[in-house]
Amino acid sequence: MSNVRLTLERRQRISTLRSTTTYTLGLLIGLACGLLVLLAAGAPASTLLNDLVIQVFFSAMGLAQTLTLAVPLILVGLSATAAMRLRFWNVGIEGQLWLGAIGATLVAINDVGSDSLRLPTMLIMSAIAGAAWIAVPLILKLKAGVNELVVTLLLSNVAYLLLQHLLFGAWKDPVNSFPVSPRYGDNEQLASLGFGNLHSGIYIALGITLLMAILVQKSRTGFYIDVIGHNRPTALATGIPVTATITLMILLSGALAGLAGGLIVTGVEHRLTQTIGINTTFSGIVIAFIARFNPLAVLPTAIVLAGIYNAGGTLKVFYGIPDAIVVLIQGIVLLTLLMIQFFRSYRVSLLRPSIKQPT
Amino acid sequence: MSQGSALLTLSAIDKSFDVHRVLDSVSFELANGEVHALLGENGAGKSTLMNILIGVYSADAGTLKLEGKLLKIAKPSDSARHGIGMVHQHFRLVNRLTLTENLLLAADGHPSLKSRSTARDTLLATAREIGFTLDPDCPVGELSVAEKQRAEICKVLALGARILILDEPTAVLTDSEASSMLGAIRRMAESGRSIILITHKLREVVGFSHRVTIMRRGETVAAGLDTGDLSIEKISSLMMGASTSSVSSDKPPGSVRPHGPDLLAISHLHAQRDDGAPALTDVSLRVRAGEILGLAGVGGNGQHELVETLCGIRSASAGSVMVDGADALGLSPRQRRKQGLRVIPADRMAAALVSELDIASNLALTSVVSGRFGWLWLNRRRMERDANASIEQHEIAGARPQGRMGLLSGGNAQKVLLAREIDSGMKLLLAHSPTRGLDIRAAAAVHQRLREAAAGGAACLLVSEDVEEIMALSDRICVISAGRITGELPGDANAADIGRLILGHE
Repeated sequence: MSNVRLTLERRQRISTLRSTTTYTLGLLIGLACGLLVLLAAGAPASTLLNDLVIQVFFSAMGLAQTLTLAVPLILVGLSATAAMRLRFWNVGIEGQLWLGAIGATLVAINDVGSDSLRLPTMLIMSAIAGAAWIAVPLILKLKAGVNELVVTLLLSNVAYLLLQHLLFGAWKDPVNSFPVSPRYGDNEQLASLGFGNLHSGIYIALGITLLMAILVQKSRTGFYIDVIGHNRPTALATGIPVTATITLMILLSGALAGLAGGLIVTGVEHRLTQTIGINTTFSGIVIAFIARFNPLAVLPTAIVLAGIYNAGGTLKVFYGIPDAIVVLIQGIVLLTLLMIQFFRSYRVSLLRPSIKQPT
Repeated sequence: MSQGSALLTLSAIDKSFDVHRVLDSVSFELANGEVHALLGENGAGKSTLMNILIGVYSADAGTLKLEGKLLKIAKPSDSARHGIGMVHQHFRLVNRLTLTENLLLAADGHPSLKSRSTARDTLLATAREIGFTLDPDCPVGELSVAEKQRAEICKVLALGARILILDEPTAVLTDSEASSMLGAIRRMAESGRSIILITHKLREVVGFSHRVTIMRRGETVAAGLDTGDLSIEKISSLMMGASTSSVSSDKPPGSVRPHGPDLLAISHLHAQRDDGAPALTDVSLRVRAGEILGLAGVGGNGQHELVETLCGIRSASAGSVMVDGADALGLSPRQRRKQGLRVIPADRMAAALVSELDIASNLALTSVVSGRFGWLWLNRRRMERDANASIEQHEIAGARPQGRMGLLSGGNAQKVLLAREIDSGMKLLLAHSPTRGLDIRAAAAVHQRLREAAAGGAACLLVSEDVEEIMALSDRICVISAGRITGELPGDANAADIGRLILGHE
């Protein structure tokens, strides 16, 4: 008999080694496909390795820029992780981030609190503002069963309009009438680390990643999250505090997104601008998915993604490759990683039929 | 035997999943016009064998022959084309469609079943032929379990099945419904169809099948024996292996215990279904310490809603529920657990266990809430130590604390649940169909645990559709029908009396 069959078997146990190698392979395949897209878009093959890898991760300036970009990405990745672990689709990270940036700026413009405590006040305010923005879909979901997908998504647009309203109106920079807020004072900026644009916000991001990992993996709340995320009826029936856990984690998701906005304005821009939040929802969800909702894995994932963004900047400036291509590459990498999960869970084998033929 | 020659032959079928060999050179032969019982404990390989026959799995080795000709079944539509149909325990019906629409969907453009009217006529004709009444225009979701089953059988037959595989067809039926179903099965065989009957109920096997094939651990231990030559004891010993004596489900002598105070008192309870229709009407029950109250009835008569209302997942529209003298209706599921309520729900994987998590977590689920493993941080080591002790104490085969819950068999998963729920804080145990889908040995172990729980002073409310189970365990028996309690009988009531009450109330 000539026909060869493909068979699928679910693996009973998946080793960490297999997991890691499979995902690494998926990442490499995705990046390779991305490279093909870049070449098709006209990037020169000869300098691509240099632009994409060396300049982004192995040169001092490139690495500094990559890490600077990674700071808010880590936070939005954690924000998406916090929500997705409970099967709550927060697709309004961008909106919460805008609110965080607005909250921080509000504190700065009105000189709230003492000068020495201004910066922490700004950051706390950004987290509170992000949490407040997600409280709306959260309450609607818990009290009235309204789907969070639509509400979080649309509130992002509302947040953006609010931002424009402020920047074109009350908060317009009086110096040159550009639609950006006035520049923050020195005590309203995160300290520069003297390494490119990198600022002390990276310590905050690292610390929060660690805390989040402990919360998710070691704490009682983390246990509740696992049960609720996998099987909500069981959680309800066994008396697990479902509403309290969801409330806590979703507010945390909003707060982390808001803080991401706060870190961008206090660390890099030093003022509120119109571009900082663009595409952050997508990035956050991509990072959370690739990291399999594991906070510690969010860290390297966000750095790799920041590298891709950083390289994208170079490509745009030097070779005229549009932003859309960079987004396309991210999409390809995400898809390959999601598809490779199949091979992690299943064994595929070629089977020559051994069915005995009656003779 | 008046049956014809071999219609279908499966020989030397092998099948492995990953490293586990689940079928080892299994053979099976089905004759024309016979009811052939396929028996075996859970995990014996019956379902895998049938899934190979209908094309869900493919065999690693072996041959299938239909009427002497080699049969190749690569996908389910192949088996349908050859007239092989299966009625699964979990029906393959789309709830929002009517039965006619379900048939059209399953027929998938079959030339003789293209129009709605022919599909409807075929269904009605099929139903008439085997003596079923059904409404082909009612959305399937509104049918009771028994009606759904009849609908599914008619659908499969209307698709042209002449070999019909029935997986536990009576598991969800009352005794009288079951005997009418078994009668219909005999009639189907007499009209020339061949039936493969998978069941755990040996009385059905002895009463209604022509031949018996028994599987154990992926092998055929008895192939095509004439039922007439077999007794229940003989079948039972073949199924369980020579070393095991047959498990008795009779009540131990002297089981009538002096009973204590009412630990559960339900009075005039009303509740609604999800769609707002009344599910429970004026239900009053009381269960005393140390007794098992059996609540019998056909599934879909309000049992599900009663269990949910008692757990605190569904709100009552009127009435009261007292647990150990204190009102429970206003309390959350968590507070009710504190009162001493423990629950074995009908669908354990959907409402009591988390299949994605490990066994230690599942065993610890409720004690994590009460703070046994720490308030802020979880003491994982202690959790695993407790799990190890539980696994050893309750003899949960194949379980490791780190093992995934979803990989346990039904019987062992139920043991995990029982180990967790029956703890020192238990005062009232609510068990809903606790042995559904379990094999004899696992069911006997569950029954033993329920008896021990009652003997230890707990009140036990056993909600079951299996009258044999109710009779084997209950000190008193109540019957629920259409959301009302239609009567109460002593624990030694006979099946006919219970059956009359089950059906007597419309």
